[in-house]
Amino acid sequence: MTLITVQEQHLPGASLEEKFDHALAWGFGGIELRSAGELQFQARLRELRRARNAGVVMPTACVEMPHFVGAFDDELRKDAVVQLKSQLSVMAEIGGRGVMTPASYGMFSKRLPPFIPPRTEEADTAVLVESFTELGEHAAAEGVEIYLEPLNRYEDHMINTLADGVRLLTLVGLGAVRLAPDTYHMNIEESDLAAALQDAAGYIGHIQASDSNRLEPGAGHIDWALFGATLKSIGYQGTVALESRLSGPAEEVLPRVPSLLGRYL
Amino acid sequence: MTAVSDTDDGGSPVTAELIAARSTAVLEANWRKTHTVPAAGLYPHQWSWDSSFIAVGLSRISPRRAGQEMDALFAGQWDDGRLPQIIFDPHRDEDYAPGASFWQSGQIPGSPKQVETAGLVQPPNHAWAAWKIHQADPAESRRRSFLERNYSKLVHWHEYLSGRRSRGGSGLACIVHPWESGTDNSPLWDTVMLRIPADCKTELNRPDLQHADAGERPSQKEYGKYFWMAERYRDHGCDDADADYPFLMEDPLFNTLLAVSELALADIAAELGLPGEAHRERAERITEALEALYVPELGCYSARDVTDGTVVSKATINGLIPLLLPGKVHAEALLETLNGPRFMDGRALMVPSYDATAEDHNPALYWRGPAWFNMSWMVAEALEGLGHTDQAAFLRGNIGRLAAEHDFPEYVDPWTGAAHGTRSFSWTAALALETTYPRSTP
Repeated sequence: MTLITVQEQHLPGASLEEKFDHALAWGFGGIELRSAGELQFQARLRELRRARNAGVVMPTACVEMPHFVGAFDDELRKDAVVQLKSQLSVMAEIGGRGVMTPASYGMFSKRLPPFIPPRTEEADTAVLVESFTELGEHAAAEGVEIYLEPLNRYEDHMINTLADGVRLLTLVGLGAVRLAPDTYHMNIEESDLAAALQDAAGYIGHIQASDSNRLEPGAGHIDWALFGATLKSIGYQGTVALESRLSGPAEEVLPRVPSLLGRYL
Repeated sequence: MTAVSDTDDGGSPVTAELIAARSTAVLEANWRKTHTVPAAGLYPHQWSWDSSFIAVGLSRISPRRAGQEMDALFAGQWDDGRLPQIIFDPHRDEDYAPGASFWQSGQIPGSPKQVETAGLVQPPNHAWAAWKIHQADPAESRRRSFLERNYSKLVHWHEYLSGRRSRGGSGLACIVHPWESGTDNSPLWDTVMLRIPADCKTELNRPDLQHADAGERPSQKEYGKYFWMAERYRDHGCDDADADYPFLMEDPLFNTLLAVSELALADIAAELGLPGEAHRERAERITEALEALYVPELGCYSARDVTDGTVVSKATINGLIPLLLPGKVHAEALLETLNGPRFMDGRALMVPSYDATAEDHNPALYWRGPAWFNMSWMVAEALEGLGHTDQAAFLRGNIGRLAAEHDFPEYVDPWTGAAHGTRSFSWTAALALETTYPRSTP
């Protein structure tokens, strides 16, 4: 059965061990970590090792940084690569599967003024291929994976659909670079969620689940039955992490999520 | 993992999980935002009774899509209540004949305004499907007011069939074209087809032959006759009042599904807090009227030509489907025929569409011998209802296995399972999915 995890900030508790106890009590199977920049994630190694030794399941981390691997500014882009390489090494050390990142977030949208990005599409692609090649080689050496998350058109101008992501992954051509679809972004970008997942089946390494309104699954109108059937159909073996805003207090709304998704996964 | 057979063509074990996975992929590939095409190439529009079978399968993976499938079909309902055989995709008119440009449904009074459709109908399995879809996820069904919105449409559809289509006055609905039976070139229609002219006005264009071998499709001469009848029906305004119309047949398959769907309407009415007794009475009347179509020497039902009152003396799968009728009428004889030399004979994997002892039986030609997944599924449903659970399980197991092994063929050789017709066929995938899911799943 697919492992359903929840991001750490949603869980009460002073330590990862306490948070994990809540996650299990609410029906989740593990925790998705948030990996901050400025090497802060690496600075958590002692805490993370202790949690791992205590049996806390932490398969994936999701970047939490102000700049990303597709940054217009070359220095920021290079720093994002440095940060992610460090985060991948941390995940390898604690026995995790990988780290997910978008190409960029909040940097530019072709749907908002001034509409025309300062860099050409070809240059965008070249920058992303270079960044993900470096990250993919590092991830492979560490025995983990780097996950590219397509974001909706208002949050990123480069990789919006799963097909955009597959095109980039094909150019990179490294098995350790995989796709991390997020159902909230898919709801905006894909004309047919099931067909998009089928088409990208061979590339998907991790999935984030949010409903159509970015609230927890069940609070919007995504067809979770079809989502689950599709993951089973493509033989998906990865994790599904809950990264959502919440429609109410965590202790009320989160315990409903594993039972909803679990019906179908 | 549930082992269904040793391996598939690629050497992988054919498990229930594999069948479900591949079936889901076929249904998702054939989904067109509001409905499912039966096959992406050969059948590019929405077909009426296909959608019912497809929706029953879809209800296992997405009750929402199952409901949408039926909603899209009901959107094509005519003012007289008919649910049309085909709702056309306006972008694919060149890819199937006869298409929207042939029917010109917009010119016919009472046709729907928003979509173009064929004027003919198909077997009425819709209320039966609607009730199964509701049962698959009652909460989702109620949230979408699925039964509430569609009950009156289904009633109107049945009124059309029991009213305007009761051309023989026997209480049975008539079909006016072989296509309406769903079993287009069944031997049941051979005799009456002899009197149908083949000189249609339409220039015959056969896009179907780009997707299937000509030897596995109806012949050019048959197509000429099919078009001649469709032209005549269309040119008479699809009004069911053409006194000399030459093809008026009472089909046991069509009328059994009408009776079964009447019973489903009774269940739907009960769910909605409405009286359902009239539906049960109609189901009984249809069952009684079907008695005239029973042929004791064949041990099955057959079709009656309303123009001269003769009952065709041929054993086809259409004549076994009354196994589904309420009251277990002739059930023992039908079971004997099903398991005798004309059909299963202890060696068939699925139910042949035509008498295996007939000289003109052809196990590779469409409705003249091959086994079809929807028919075997209906027989399995009937067997289950009659308590023959082992044989029902045997058929269901073969439906899933043969479907997944051969890329969801349109039909198969009943004895070898060799695949024929088009592939990635939607109702094959839907029913493979339906039979593969645990029976206990609500």
